Amino acid sequence: MTSTAGIAPANPHDSAAPAPRGRKLTGYWLILPAALWLGVFFVIPFYSLVSSSLFDPNGSVLTGYNMTWHFANYVDAINDYKGQLWRSIWYAGLATLACLVIGYVLAYAIAFKAGRWKNLMLVLVIAPFFTSFLLRTLSWKLILADDGWVVGFAQTIHLTNLLNFIGLTGTDDRLLATPFAVIAGLTYNFLPFMVLPLYASLEKIDVRLIEASSDLYASPMRGFFKVTFPLSLPGVVAGTLLTFIPAAGDYINATLLGNTNTKMVGNVIQSLFTTQGDYAAAGALSVTLMAIIVGLVLIYVRTSGTEDLV
Amino acid sequence: MAELERRTLLKGSVGVAALGASAAALKWGFNTPDRKQNPADCQAKDVSATDKRLIFSNWPEYIDEDDKKYVSTLTQFEKDTGIKVDYTADVNDNNEFFAKVANQLGSCSSSKRDLFALTDWMAAKMIQVGWIQKLDASKVPNLHANIIDSLKSPGWDKKREYSAPWQSGLTGIAYNKKKVGEVKSFSELLTRKDLKGRVTLLTEMRDTMGFMLLLEGADPSNFTDAQWQKAMERLKKADGDGQFRAFTGNDYVQDLASGNVLAAEAWSGDIANAGDDNLVWIPPEEGIMIWADNMLIPNLATHKDNAEEWINYYYEPEVGAKLANYNSYICPVKGAQEAMEKVNPENVHNELIFPTEKTLSQTHGFMALDEAKSRTYEGDFSSVTAS
Amino acid sequence: MSQLHESTTTDRPASGSRDLRLSGLTKEYAAFTAVKSLDLVMPQGSFFALLGPSGCGKTTTLRMVAGLETPTSGAIHLGDTEITYAKPYKRPVNTVFQNYALFPHLNISKNVAFGLERRGVKNVGQQVADMLELVELTSQAHKKPAQMSGGQQQRVALARALINQPEVLLLDEPLGALDLKLRRGMQLELKRIQTEVGLTFVHVTHDQEEAMTMADTIAVMNQGVIEQMGAPNDLYENPKTTFVANFLGQSNLIEAEIQGREGGQVKVRVQGALASIPTERAHSESGKGWLGIRPEKVLIAEAGHPIDAPGDVITGGFITDVSFVGVSTQYMVKMPWGQELMVFEQNTGARRMLPVGTKVDVSWRPEYAFLLDASQDAKAGIEED
Repeated sequence: MTSTAGIAPANPHDSAAPAPRGRKLTGYWLILPAALWLGVFFVIPFYSLVSSSLFDPNGSVLTGYNMTWHFANYVDAINDYKGQLWRSIWYAGLATLACLVIGYVLAYAIAFKAGRWKNLMLVLVIAPFFTSFLLRTLSWKLILADDGWVVGFAQTIHLTNLLNFIGLTGTDDRLLATPFAVIAGLTYNFLPFMVLPLYASLEKIDVRLIEASSDLYASPMRGFFKVTFPLSLPGVVAGTLLTFIPAAGDYINATLLGNTNTKMVGNVIQSLFTTQGDYAAAGALSVTLMAIIVGLVLIYVRTSGTEDLV
Repeated sequence: MAELERRTLLKGSVGVAALGASAAALKWGFNTPDRKQNPADCQAKDVSATDKRLIFSNWPEYIDEDDKKYVSTLTQFEKDTGIKVDYTADVNDNNEFFAKVANQLGSCSSSKRDLFALTDWMAAKMIQVGWIQKLDASKVPNLHANIIDSLKSPGWDKKREYSAPWQSGLTGIAYNKKKVGEVKSFSELLTRKDLKGRVTLLTEMRDTMGFMLLLEGADPSNFTDAQWQKAMERLKKADGDGQFRAFTGNDYVQDLASGNVLAAEAWSGDIANAGDDNLVWIPPEEGIMIWADNMLIPNLATHKDNAEEWINYYYEPEVGAKLANYNSYICPVKGAQEAMEKVNPENVHNELIFPTEKTLSQTHGFMALDEAKSRTYEGDFSSVTAS
Repeated sequence: MSQLHESTTTDRPASGSRDLRLSGLTKEYAAFTAVKSLDLVMPQGSFFALLGPSGCGKTTTLRMVAGLETPTSGAIHLGDTEITYAKPYKRPVNTVFQNYALFPHLNISKNVAFGLERRGVKNVGQQVADMLELVELTSQAHKKPAQMSGGQQQRVALARALINQPEVLLLDEPLGALDLKLRRGMQLELKRIQTEVGLTFVHVTHDQEEAMTMADTIAVMNQGVIEQMGAPNDLYENPKTTFVANFLGQSNLIEAEIQGREGGQVKVRVQGALASIPTERAHSESGKGWLGIRPEKVLIAEAGHPIDAPGDVITGGFITDVSFVGVSTQYMVKMPWGQELMVFEQNTGARRMLPVGTKVDVSWRPEYAFLLDASQDAKAGIEED
C-alpha cells in the first residue's frame, strides 16, 4: 500500500482529515480472511474454468489439453448451443415468474395472515430440503405419471389442451416429459429460495404503513401495489435472483422431467464434461452462461432500483 | 477527486497484477497433461507371494454373498487360496470411475487397486492409452479355455490379452405387455404411432447407435462414416417427430413399470431383476447388442499374480454358474450351463443367463474407436440426447 | 389558507352540521372491553382532545373513527351520514399516526400527494407545493422520510393528512416522539393550523398539558368510559372525579365530613376545622367526601402570622420539603392528621422562602375548593413516574 502515498496531490478535503497510516492498514488486514476465502473458493476455480475455456479444442482428456488462448471456443459454443442457452434463460425466467407469483402469495400469507401458525408454515416451506433434490424431483414423475389422476384431471378440465395451446406441452395429452413439467419442476424446487427472502422483507413492513395507505384512500389492492409491493422489492429482487440463477444452470429437472427436446444448457455442459470429455467447449459454454447471467442480473438490479430503498 | 483517482489507480494496478498472475496461471496452472503411458514402464514389484491380498473395484450388487448355509464364491476363493480379498463396490459409472483414476494412471502412479471391472468401450479406452497390464496367459488357462465364443475376440482386445469379462449382458428391447401390444423390432420403437412419446432409448451411445446402424444395414463392429451419418439422420428424424420421451440410464425400468413408458431399449439384466411379470425383454429382429464388464489389471498393481488367480478361479464352470445364478446376467463361462444343474436346476434353461446359440449368433459388438472418433461420435450422439 | 378552508366547506352539504357523533360505541376484545358504550359529540370545527392514560381506550376509539377497527356495537355518524362500517379508504377522515407512518420508499412530495392521487386527482403539484409551504417544508420536497428529523417528519405526516381536506382529522399522539422543546413548538403550530383550516381535529393524547394547550374540548377517558368532558379550564377548575382531579394537574384531596347545605354553599368539617364549597362545585351531598384544592390555590403563612386573603384556614402544619423551581416554590406541608399537602407559591418576592421545619398555617378561598365522592379512590389517575 505504500505506493499510494506518492500518487496524486491531495486535495483540500483529503488533507483536511488525514487518517493515521496504521488504521488504514488495519482495514486491509481485516479483509484478508474474506479475500482468502474468495481466492480459494472463487478466484482459483474460476481461473481454472476460464483457462479450460481457452484450451486448444484438438486436445483430449487422454492426450492432454493446452491453454492456447483459443477464443474461437466461445464462438463455437454459442453457435452450437444457442438453442439450449436461450431455452435455459426462457425456462428459468418462466419458473422464476411462477415462483414469484406463488411465493409472494405464500410469503404474504405467512407474514400477515398466519398468526400463530407462522413458524409451522415456515418450517413447512423449508421441509422439502430435508430430502434430496433428486428424490424430490423423481417423486414428481410419480405424481405426474401419464396414467395418474393428476393427468386425468388435467385432461378432464382441458388444462392439457390449454397448456398445449400455449406451447408448454405436446399434443400427446400428457404432462410428464414436456416443457411444462421441466418448468414446474424448477418452480417447485426453487420455490423456497423465493419464499424466504420475500417473507423476510414482507415481515419487516410496518403494518401501520398499510393502515396509513388505507387511511389515505388506497383500496387494499392499490395499497398493495403502492406500498406493500414497493417495500417488499428488496425481497423480490433477492428472491428472483436466488431462483433464476440456479434455475438457469439446472440440469436435473430437464433430465428427469423433460423429454429429448427440453434439454437445458446445464445438460449440455454436463454431457460435454463427463461423457464427451470436451473440456474446451464445456468451459466456454460455462463461462458464457455465467456471463449471460451476470449481465442479466446487472441490468435487472439497475432497473429495479433497489439500492434506492431504505 | 484525488480519492477517486487513487482508488481507480489502486484498482487498476491490482487488476493489472491479477491479469498478469492469471496469464501466468493460465499458462502453467491448469493445462491438463498427456495421459498416455507405456504399461511396460509402469510395472510394480509383485508382492503377491508375501502379501496375500487382492484389491478389487466392482459395480454394486454384482457378486453373490454369504448366507446361512450358502458359501459365496468370494469366501470360497479366500479359503482355497489364502488370499484376502479387499472387495469394494465403488464403480458406479464408467466416466466417473475414469475421472477417479485418471490422475494416477495418467501419470504412471498407483491407483491403489489390483483389479477393476469396466464396460467394453471404457476398457478399450484404457488399454489404448496404456494404463492396463497384460495378463500372463499361462496363469489364466481357464479364461482362454472356457470363455464363450461370442466374447472371445472383441475388436479392441482380439485375443483377450488384457481383459476378462466378469459378466455380460444383452441390449434389446423391453415393453410393458399390460399397456401395449407386442413389440418385435427396434424400428417399431422409431415409427409406431401408438408408441409416440412413450419410448426411451439408452444414453449409452454404443448401444443405441449400434441398433441405428443395424437399421441401416451396417455392421456396428465395422462401419463407415457415411453409414454413421445416415444412422444419425434417422435418429434425429425420429427425435424431431417427438417419438422419444427420453434418453436414460437404467432409470427407464421404473417408467416402464409405471406405464409412462410403453417400450424401451433395455438391458436384459435390468428386466430380469425388475421382478415385474408385465415387463417383457425380447431380442429385436434387427439383432442384439452384446456388452460385457471386463476385469482389468491396472499399471502398478502390486498383487498381479493374485488378480490372475482370481480371474482363473471365476472361469471355473461351477464358480461361473454360482455367480450367474445370483446375478441373472449372461455367464461368460463355457460349461457353466452343465454346472448349473447342481447349483440351481431351474436356471439351466434361463435364456437370460444362457442365451441359445441362435441368440448369441445375432449379437453384435461395437467397433473400437480411437479417441478422436469417439469424441466426434459422442458429440454427434449427444447433439440428439442433449438437445 | 383561507381558500383551503372555503373549498372544504363547499364540499360539504349546505344544510345540517357535520358534527362527529359516537353513540353507544363499544369495542370488546376476547379478554377485555376497550371501549364501553361511548356517547360523544365532537362539534364541527372543534379541536377535540381525548385524554387518558395508556390503555384507557382512546386510541381504540380513534381507530374506530378512522375505520381501522370495527366496533362491536354502536354507531359513528358524521353529520347525517353513518360511517360505522364504511371502509377506511372511503371515509372523509384522515389520520396523523403515532410515529407518523410515512412511506419510506416515497419522497416527501410523493408522500403528501399520496391521498390525492389515490382519489384520482390530477395535477396535484400546486396543492402539494401549497401544503408543503404551510408546514414550511418546501425545500425538503425531494428528500426521503429517513433523511428528516422527527419534527419535520411530523409536519410531513400532518401535511399528508391535511391535503385531503378531510372533514375530520385524527391525531394519534402526534407529538409523542418529539422532545419537550419541539413538542411545545409543534403544539402551537398545530393549533395555528387548525384555526386556519377550520377542520374538526380529534386529538388523542396522554399528555394533559398538551391537551389543555390545544383543545377546545377535552374528554378525559379512563377504562373505556369518559370520566368528564368540557373546556380545559372547566375540567381543571371543577373536576368531578378524583381521577380527573389527579390526572389533570395535581390536587390535594382531604377527607371531609359533609355537614349539609347552607345557602349556596356546602359546609364540611375537615379534621376539626370548618370549610365550605360552592354547591356547583360539590359533587357529593352527604356523608363523607373528599375536599379538593389545587396546590397553587393553597396559601401558607408562618404560624400565627396573618394570611393575606380571607378563606378557610387550617392550622398546625409544618414544612417537610421545599423545592425551588424558579417561577414558584413547592412546599410539602405535614398536617396534624399526618397528611402531606402540596403548596405552590409564586415567587413574587413578597416574602422570604420558608425553610424546612417552619410551623405554618394553610388557607384557601372557598370558591376554589371542590368536593368529591368519598367512595372514589383518592389516588386514581396519579401517574407513576
